Amino acid sequence: MIRGKCWVADDYVMAYNIIIQEYWISPINPEENSKWVMAGVKEEFNKENGFKDGGYTFIVAAHNFAGGGKSIEHVITGLMGAGIKAVFADSFARLQFRNAINYGLPFVTSKDIAKGCNTGDELEYDPSTGNITNLTTNKSFNSVPAAPFVAEVESAGGLMNFVRDKIAKGQPIG
Amino acid sequence: MGMTITEKIMARTSGRDQVKPGELVWVDINTVMTMDYLGKQCFTKFRSLGKSEVFDKDRVICVSDHLVPPPNQKFATMLNEWREVVREHDITHFYDLGRQGIAHQIMVEQGHVLPGTVSIGTDSHANTYGAVGAVGNAVGVTDAAVAMATGKAWFRVPEAVKFNITGTWQPWIMAKDLSLHIMGMMHWNGHLIYKTLEFTGPAISALDMAGRMTLCNMTVDLGAKNGIVAPDQVTVDYLSGVAKGEWEMLDSDEDAHYEAVYEVDVTNVGPTVALPDKLDDTVPVEKVVGTKFNKAFVGTCTNGRLEDLAIMAQILKDKQIHRDINMIVVPASQTVYLDALRAGYLETLIEAGAAIDTPSCASCAGIHTGVAGDGDIVLSAGNRNMKGRMGSKNAQIYLTSPAVVAASSVTGVITDPRTFN
Ligand code: SF4
Repeated sequence: MIRGKCWVADDYVMAYNIIIQEYWISPINPEENSKWVMAGVKEEFNKENGFKDGGYTFIVAAHNFAGGGKSIEHVITGLMGAGIKAVFADSFARLQFRNAINYGLPFVTSKDIAKGCNTGDELEYDPSTGNITNLTTNKSFNSVPAAPFVAEVESAGGLMNFVRDKIAKGQPIG
Repeated sequence: MGMTITEKIMARTSGRDQVKPGELVWVDINTVMTMDYLGKQCFTKFRSLGKSEVFDKDRVICVSDHLVPPPNQKFATMLNEWREVVREHDITHFYDLGRQGIAHQIMVEQGHVLPGTVSIGTDSHANTYGAVGAVGNAVGVTDAAVAMATGKAWFRVPEAVKFNITGTWQPWIMAKDLSLHIMGMMHWNGHLIYKTLEFTGPAISALDMAGRMTLCNMTVDLGAKNGIVAPDQVTVDYLSGVAKGEWEMLDSDEDAHYEAVYEVDVTNVGPTVALPDKLDDTVPVEKVVGTKFNKAFVGTCTNGRLEDLAIMAQILKDKQIHRDINMIVVPASQTVYLDALRAGYLETLIEAGAAIDTPSCASCAGIHTGVAGDGDIVLSAGNRNMKGRMGSKNAQIYLTSPAVVAASSVTGVITDPRTFN
């Protein structure tokens, strides 16, 4: 069970706004990447630790979260470094959906959550059932449970750990 | 039930007889590409998996494209570190300055992508590889590192959408026009996310490899997983002499399942322009004829090929680029550069008043040469036009075909190449 405050996006959130151009060629590092994460999404986040200082645990978004076709992993490490434990959205862009799985950050598809939350609401997410509860408004939402492979990678702490472990044990990965 | 070409490729590379959309499979990859600004991180991650040798030195392809030649000390240092790490791992195919090109162009042109196989790259536009009937996919450095270590990558088998393209290509109409037309039709923000897009039909058979690359290239911008054209005689001719390895001619079964089939008659597709900031805000050129701009850019993994330079040369022959227009042309690779030089295209372009830049991504991502400044209005044959993409947030970017860029550069305002004389 994960509990914390959510930030609700009011529009499409694009990957190139989560991490702006100046930081595309910087090293992948959650601490560093989180300093300027979301800088292009809202003016109020466009300062050092602008988003991070909000102390959010969840992001609630609408369609095609992290879209726009950028493959850089800074998007995920930036969010993780800022304390985000799960993102709920209608749908996700595939490149970042993939990166999120590889890093073990739950990108959770939930059809109507966007309409049922406000920034600052306290949410509770149960990864085992996919249930999301808005404790502030007392509303509940369903989500699509993660596929077994995704859960396996998540519990290994990401794809790197998953594969490293297989290699060390001399096991095939797939 | 039959399978689509993408399903067949995923089945044979994962050692199965059959796969279904939604399934997760680990596939054997043919090649993995990485490039200058992310490559070092791939190798570092790869090492952290407990390996020191890549799965196959011939099939990890390294390219310098975003940062060459370095415009500042920071990029120069990054490139030096990149070179060192590539050398250290004894990579066979390293396309560094002097042999460089945009990675996606290099991958296809040098035969590192083969029909019926899967190739991945650490850059969004790896979808380009579908042009030769391969599954081409963009991944992050984690997936690349895993593939470098194991020769494998995981995939979710995508649902398929078919675009059946019929009719005849009209004079001056290019694959880019069709691409932008589809963008306007389907929308950038994705009814097509996660899908495999298959392009078939007589107008695709009639399309050369350069056009197929343009078309598949921009499927990532539609949010799709990959775009693919089944191999045919055009593919065979293109790959003969360059293909690095064996390949198989696969095609979709008659009874393969598609979530949707769209028909486009290319006879009705005219020159198309995407308006600034949003890729799917596309209009027929007639709507914007007469619009002023001051910079012209032709290059990138979308439109920096020989065929693109050929059509520009045809339009600019014995013409002069308008004095208020700065035009930069960047061949997509050294091979394209040399071929265009030998064919006389570059001579024509230079005589017309264009500046030729050495192969690289140039200003496409706003981090290298020729970037846009405040107030610039760029007419570009690239693939992305969001605010700030080519540099300043206070610049505007119109996207279109090389033919439209060439004709417009003479008049100084957006011009329809069909009525240009
Ligand atoms: S040319 Fe542009 S889109 Fe293509 S790889 Fe380079 S930066 Fe990316």
